Amino acid sequence: MLSIGIDIGSLTTKTVVLNNGRFLASVVSETLDEAEISAQVAMTKALERIDADEDPLRFVVTTGAGAKGVSFSDRSKAITTCLARGIAYCVPEARAVIDIGAESSTVVKTNERGKVLDWANHDKCAAGTGIFLQQMAKLMKLSFEEMSELSETASKGADITGTCAVFAESEVISHVHRVPPTPMPEIILGIYLSVSSRIKTMCKRIGANEKIALSGGVALHKGLVRTLEKEIGQPLFVPDDPVCVAALGAAVLAGEEIQKETAQ
Amino acid sequence: MKKAANNKIQSIVRACRIILRMIEADPNTRHSQKMYYRMLLQYYTRLRDARENGQFIAAHTVFFPAEILLAMDIIPMHTETTTWMTSLFTGECGDILAAGARLGMATEICAPHRGMAGAFASGALPRPDVMVWSNMVCDNTAKSGELVMDICGCPGFFIDRPFKDSGLEKTYMAGEIRDMIAFLEDKSGKKMDYDRLSTIVERMDRQIELTRQVNELRKNVPTPFSPLGFLELLTIDYLFPGQPESIEYLETLKAELEEMVKQKKGAIPKERFRLMTLFIPPMYLMSFLEKLSVESGAVSVIEPFFTFWGEGRLDASRPVEAVVEKAYMIPETRMYGPLGESALEAIKKCAREWKVDGAVYYADVGCRHSCATIKLFKDALAEVDVPVLTIDCDVVDQTVTSEEEVRDKMERFFELLEDR
Ligand code: SF4
Repeated sequence: MLSIGIDIGSLTTKTVVLNNGRFLASVVSETLDEAEISAQVAMTKALERIDADEDPLRFVVTTGAGAKGVSFSDRSKAITTCLARGIAYCVPEARAVIDIGAESSTVVKTNERGKVLDWANHDKCAAGTGIFLQQMAKLMKLSFEEMSELSETASKGADITGTCAVFAESEVISHVHRVPPTPMPEIILGIYLSVSSRIKTMCKRIGANEKIALSGGVALHKGLVRTLEKEIGQPLFVPDDPVCVAALGAAVLAGEEIQKETAQ
Repeated sequence: MKKAANNKIQSIVRACRIILRMIEADPNTRHSQKMYYRMLLQYYTRLRDARENGQFIAAHTVFFPAEILLAMDIIPMHTETTTWMTSLFTGECGDILAAGARLGMATEICAPHRGMAGAFASGALPRPDVMVWSNMVCDNTAKSGELVMDICGCPGFFIDRPFKDSGLEKTYMAGEIRDMIAFLEDKSGKKMDYDRLSTIVERMDRQIELTRQVNELRKNVPTPFSPLGFLELLTIDYLFPGQPESIEYLETLKAELEEMVKQKKGAIPKERFRLMTLFIPPMYLMSFLEKLSVESGAVSVIEPFFTFWGEGRLDASRPVEAVVEKAYMIPETRMYGPLGESALEAIKKCAREWKVDGAVYYADVGCRHSCATIKLFKDALAEVDVPVLTIDCDVVDQTVTSEEEVRDKMERFFELLEDR
C-alpha cells in the first residue's frame, strides 16, 4: 500500500509518496483557495510521477492548514509530529528541527525515534517567517540569491527588531533613507540576525541545543542559514529536500498507520 | 441599580439562574455542581441587593482574607472573580476592558485588573463602601486597590503580606489584620465578632481538609472529578471561605467521588491523558475546553497552585493568627515572591503522586508574576519526565488567543503525549 503525506501550507502544498518506507515521489504545488482541492491536485501530480504498476491502494495522512477537512484523508496529524518523523527519516542523526515556513516558524525537539519531545512555535507575527523575508527582498528589490551574496560582505548587521514585522519594515526603510544610508549588506545581515535571534530563543526555550536540522523553503536561503548557524553556534543539517520534510513525515506516519492496521 | 443596562452583577445572576434551571432538570448533573451554582447565585444575588438592603459592601482583591468581612457581616465583592464570572457567564468582557482602556489602562496589564477598573468606572459594578486589598498574589493586585479607591472615591485599606514566613513576619501581618479590622469597624460602624471569626476559621480548616481529601480521590485512575472541576474548588474558596455552604458542597462532592471510585467510574468516558493545570484557563473558552477534554480524554487531575494546599492547620482559638497562617498556606502563594525549592518540589510531587502525563500552562500574557515561572516549572517537570504545553492567553481578554489556536496547540500536545 502506498503511504501518502500531504502538507498544506499557506503558499504551497507538498506531497510525498512512499511505499513500504521506500521513497517514490515528491511534488510541491501551489495552495489553492480550498484545502481539499489543493490536496487533491498535489496528490494527483505526485501519483503521476510514480510507476503505473505500484500498488493502487493508499493511506493518506494530511497536515497543515485545513488538513482535517480533506475528505480523502485517512488521518490528519499535527505539523510538529510530521516534522519530527520527516526529519528522522531524512536526517536520522538530527535531534531537533527548525522549520521556517511562509507564515510561521517552529522548532521541534525530537528523539532518535522521530518522536516529539517538545516544541515552540511562533505564529502571531510575520517576523521570523518566509513571508517576512520575501517582503524584505521586495522592499530592497533583490532576489534571495542576491541577498545571500550581499550578506556575505557585511562586517556587521544593522539593528533591526526581531519581534514585529511592521516595525522591522519601517526600520529597514529608515536605514535605506538615512544620510548616509546604511550599506545594503549590513541591512540584509541585520534582517537575517533578527530572524536568527528569534529562532535561537525558541531553540533555547525547548532545550534544542544540538544536532539541529533545518526545514522549510527558507532553508534554501543560504545567507540566512549561515547567519543562523553562527547565531546558534553550530552547523545545521539541511536535508536535500527541506521543503517537503513535513509531507515526508506525514507519509512516514501513513506507513505506521498501515502497519498498525495490518497488525490488527 | 438592579436595572442598570451594563450591570454585570445582574448579568451574572441572570446567567446563574438560567444554568441552574438547565442543570436542575438534568438527572446526570452532579448534585454538588447544582449546589455550586446555587452558591454562586446566592453570592451575586446578595451582592446585587446589598445596597437596597442597606448593607455595607467591601470590594476586595484575590486572596484578601474575606473571612474577616464575613465575620463582621460585611458584604464582600471579590473583584477579580467577578470579572472572570462576567467573562464566563456572559462570554464577553469587551465593554469593561474598553472602559479600562479609556481610563488609560495599558493592554499589557492583566485583563482581570483592566476589567475591574473599567467595570467600576463604567458603573458595571456597584460602588463599594470601602476597598480592601493586599499584595497577594502579585504587583497588579497591590496597585489595583488604589485605582479602585480613586475611581470610586471610597476609602481603602491595604494589607501587606511579607514574602517570607518566619514567625516575625507572621506577627507583623497579624498586626496588619488588626489594623484593618479597626479600619473596617470605623468605616462600617460594625464590630468584629471574634466568636464568629473563630467559627469561620474552624470551618475553613475543615474546608481545606476536605479539599485535600477530594484531591486524594482524584489520584484514582480513572479520576472521578470533572476535567475542569477544580475551578469549583477555587471559586468556593474565593467566595465562601469558611462558610457552611462550602462544607456542605465539599462533603457532597467527596461522597460523590467516593462512590465513583467504588464503581471504578471516571469523570469522562475514556481517560487518556492525566493533566496538571498550571494557572487559569481562559474563562470564555470554558465550554470549549470542557468539550475538548471529553473528546480527547484529557482531564486535569491536580493543580499545584490552586487546589494543592500547603501543610498545616488553622487554630480557631487564635483566629487572627489563623487568618495569617492561611495566607501562607494558600496554594497560589507558592508563586508569590521568590519561588524557592519548595514550590518546585511541590509540582514534582504532584506530578508523581497524581500520575500526571502532561502539564498545561495557561500563560496569562499580562501576568508577569506567573509567566516568569514558565521556564522554571518546565525544567522542574522535565526532571520527572512530564512535558509542558504553554498556551499564551488571557483569563478574560478574548483578543489574546482564539479557540482555534488553543485547539491546535492542545491537539498537538495530545499527539505528543500519545506518541511517547
Ligand atoms: S493573573 Fe497574574 S497579574 Fe493578574 S491578578 Fe492574577 S496573579 Fe495578578
